[in-house]
Amino acid sequence: MADQQVGGRGGQGGAAPAAAAPKYAWPAKPVLLSTAVKRLDGPDKVTGRARYSYDINRPGMIYGRIVRSPYPHARVVSVDLSAAEKAPGVKAALAWKEPGAQVMYQGDPVAGIAADTEERARDAARLIRVQYEQLPHLNSVEQAMAADAPAVFPGGNVREGSKEETGALDDGFAKAAHVVEATYSTHVITHVCLETHGCVCEWDGDKLTAWISTQAVIQSAQQFAQGLKIPQSNVHCITQYMGGGFGSKFGPDAQGLICAKLAQQAKAPVKLMLDRKEEHLDTGNRPSATAHIRAGVTADGVLTAFDGQSWGTGGAGQPAGFPLPYIYNFPNRRRTHKDVYINAGPQRAMRAPGHPQGCFLTEILMDELADRVKMDPVAFRVKNLPPRGPNAMWADYFASGAKQFGWDKRHPTGDQTPGPIKTGMGVSAHRWGGAGGGSQARVDILSDGSVVVKCGTQDIGTGTRTIVAMVAAETFGLPVSAVKAEIGDSLLPFSGGSGGSTTAASVTPAIRVTSVDALEALCAKVAASLGVEPTELVAEGGRIHVKGNTSKGLAWKDACKLIGTEPISVNGRWQQGLSGSGTSGVQFAEATVDVETGIVKVTRILAIQDCGLVVDKLTAEHQALGGVIAAINFALFEDRLLDRVTGQMVNPNMEWYLLAGMSDVPKIDIVLNNMPERGVIGIGEPPTVSTASAIANAVRNATGATIRSLPLHPHKVLAALEQQKAGGTN
Amino acid sequence: MTVSRREFLKGAGVTGLASAVTAAGVAETEAQTGPRVLGPGDVPVSLMVNGKRLELKIEPRVTLLDALRNRADLIGNKRVCDRGTCGACTMIVDGRTVYSCSTLAIEAQGKQIRTVDGLANGATLHPVQQAFCDVDALMCGFCTPGFVVATVALLEKHPNATPEQMRKGLDGNICRCGTFVRILEAANAAKAKGVARG
Repeated sequence: MADQQVGGRGGQGGAAPAAAAPKYAWPAKPVLLSTAVKRLDGPDKVTGRARYSYDINRPGMIYGRIVRSPYPHARVVSVDLSAAEKAPGVKAALAWKEPGAQVMYQGDPVAGIAADTEERARDAARLIRVQYEQLPHLNSVEQAMAADAPAVFPGGNVREGSKEETGALDDGFAKAAHVVEATYSTHVITHVCLETHGCVCEWDGDKLTAWISTQAVIQSAQQFAQGLKIPQSNVHCITQYMGGGFGSKFGPDAQGLICAKLAQQAKAPVKLMLDRKEEHLDTGNRPSATAHIRAGVTADGVLTAFDGQSWGTGGAGQPAGFPLPYIYNFPNRRRTHKDVYINAGPQRAMRAPGHPQGCFLTEILMDELADRVKMDPVAFRVKNLPPRGPNAMWADYFASGAKQFGWDKRHPTGDQTPGPIKTGMGVSAHRWGGAGGGSQARVDILSDGSVVVKCGTQDIGTGTRTIVAMVAAETFGLPVSAVKAEIGDSLLPFSGGSGGSTTAASVTPAIRVTSVDALEALCAKVAASLGVEPTELVAEGGRIHVKGNTSKGLAWKDACKLIGTEPISVNGRWQQGLSGSGTSGVQFAEATVDVETGIVKVTRILAIQDCGLVVDKLTAEHQALGGVIAAINFALFEDRLLDRVTGQMVNPNMEWYLLAGMSDVPKIDIVLNNMPERGVIGIGEPPTVSTASAIANAVRNATGATIRSLPLHPHKVLAALEQQKAGGTN
Repeated sequence: MTVSRREFLKGAGVTGLASAVTAAGVAETEAQTGPRVLGPGDVPVSLMVNGKRLELKIEPRVTLLDALRNRADLIGNKRVCDRGTCGACTMIVDGRTVYSCSTLAIEAQGKQIRTVDGLANGATLHPVQQAFCDVDALMCGFCTPGFVVATVALLEKHPNATPEQMRKGLDGNICRCGTFVRILEAANAAKAKGVARG
């Protein structure tokens, strides 16, 4: 599967952006951009005043609940709502699946109900009687791929993907002095958004308002309209605050449509937020990835050949694509891929879809190859990199990172220190796209000096609200607090969903272009009053004045008094040249392994990341920190476990679905390479790609045992150590 | 929170004595009338939240978290795992942090309940809240109220908490965006400024 498989968002993209019109270009000496600006909505979030969809309470509001299939595969024979409809407090009930329809995974929605309190809605949901005819199900990739597997999915349980081949594989292996052949894999994890999926729906006649927890407020309105067969102009979606999405919240989904229908039936606003179990079962996951790989290398460490057969599951009827091999130059290579369907919740995009998987499968192999040719893993990687470019800075990062991390203190594979605690270091590289496009904005300058910037984007925790205000404030020479940023509403100018690390690169150019145009309109009025040409004027330090002559000008407020009754109101859109695409990064990890218990602890991470023009240093660095911590979870803790017999998830909660706590978080150093000449590039995703691979390589370096699959749970570490004692893992 | 062995024994002794007295009282009452049964159906519940009396009529099975969020529009603390694992619902009840998703509202009667909604003094943030904003110790913000309350309780109890005490004290909360590093920075900054006992 090529990178295009993940929507092209992970692709390297163009290196140098086409130039924007000079007047729109980012300022050469910014006052605010690339500085640390505090999140504008911080005070609202720390005080609890920020009202998320989950927190919306409307007059007369009732509570919705969904009844879901307990079986991984079954035919719905009947849905009987009668007993539930008579239960105390029930105001609406509906069957979501018709008799005869199939449920394809545990948690597939079947019916919905709404009652006046949440407790009564839960009681009533238990009274909905659904008869199922259980059907054969597939709980694992192994079961689905078995020759005698029942045919569960129409068209087959396994879909052959396209075959990729470059160069001459046989020649490549002929040139190899060493060949490593092994199977590598990563597991399924779920998004675990702290604010579960859901919304509050309220009808006014034929018009719907939905306060929805989404990464795509305008696209949600579109999907409500399609799903309910009503005009999009009758739908209003609002997402002022959103408690985490990570790629899983791009629309109303079944729960949103069920909520809207219940609200229609009950003639009352309905709140329907999923519970924690539903969130694990039916709101997406990161697909698994496995590859059986043969790879060749010359005696002096040049990669010659890669032959990989890969597969993975995205659950019920969903693909599991990922890039392979990742980053490094294998001149002769072949890759085949199969998507395997099983009866489990369908996958959704999850933070850098495909990349953590492809990165892990390749990077563990790289360390094994480096050992074969007795080369340092960093030197080996640098020797096999694609050419250096603005979006391919790995060689620089390997060098600077090794120095900063103290890589020279890394011992060869296998820590010989006496005692049970072994320490090791590992390294990994990654890339991402992060291009922008297709965003509009409106800027209003009012006669009292107020500035309102409007854009139909949403802040999913990345700080979008703050960078929207920053860009306008920078353009107008005002403090950030002087700008009101209006986002998170489907009635605002169009902007895209927040996915693929595209938001900053889409939104900031639109705000810049629109603000520059609005400033031009204001300068025209100021110029007339000062008797100068508009082009002579600049906005800085809270004033509009003649360039180089601060005294010949007006304070912002006085300038705005010239506006009169009709405010300056300018619409604009994203333009090429202010954003870029394609980022590269390298991460180093240090970990300890207790060889008696198998417990892995990460002690240090260094993440080096390029990201074009840094907008807000504070929030940009925080995204990188968060990406690293998310990947520590992926490496060491979280794992979606399905029961081998029933196909039901055994840990759909937060006590057995493990996530890192404060004591599990190591020292993390972030180095952002600010490259203003490349324009704005999103970095929400790339910093989460490499961490797990670097940790796994550190564990290998510590113990000498290779664990070729995630997560690095203690039992697997111990098993690998036993295997190593019994004759090595190679 | 780290508790020294001496403090633990002292605390356990007092609690043991108190429960012995209460148990004797309950046994006496029960002998006469049997245990008091509440519900089913709504019962009056009186709560003291952020210094204000709150009279509710709710089913006895309603949790403290749901009572405040769904019946009193006190929405600052969040419901995330709903079974006492993630800490987003953390409130301070009689000086101790509790998972309000796993505490019945009826059990919190007669106690002083503090939620995130009551920490700020008008527009003036609590020092912990201010520190969270200053170092950007939040992203999506959904775990933030729980972390803020846990940090306040930690520093009220251990004004000079060691880094290890801080980590342990905040281990009962989970963040999915990955704000832990900055939360610890914020807790340190708030400690340096000093947090008055609430």
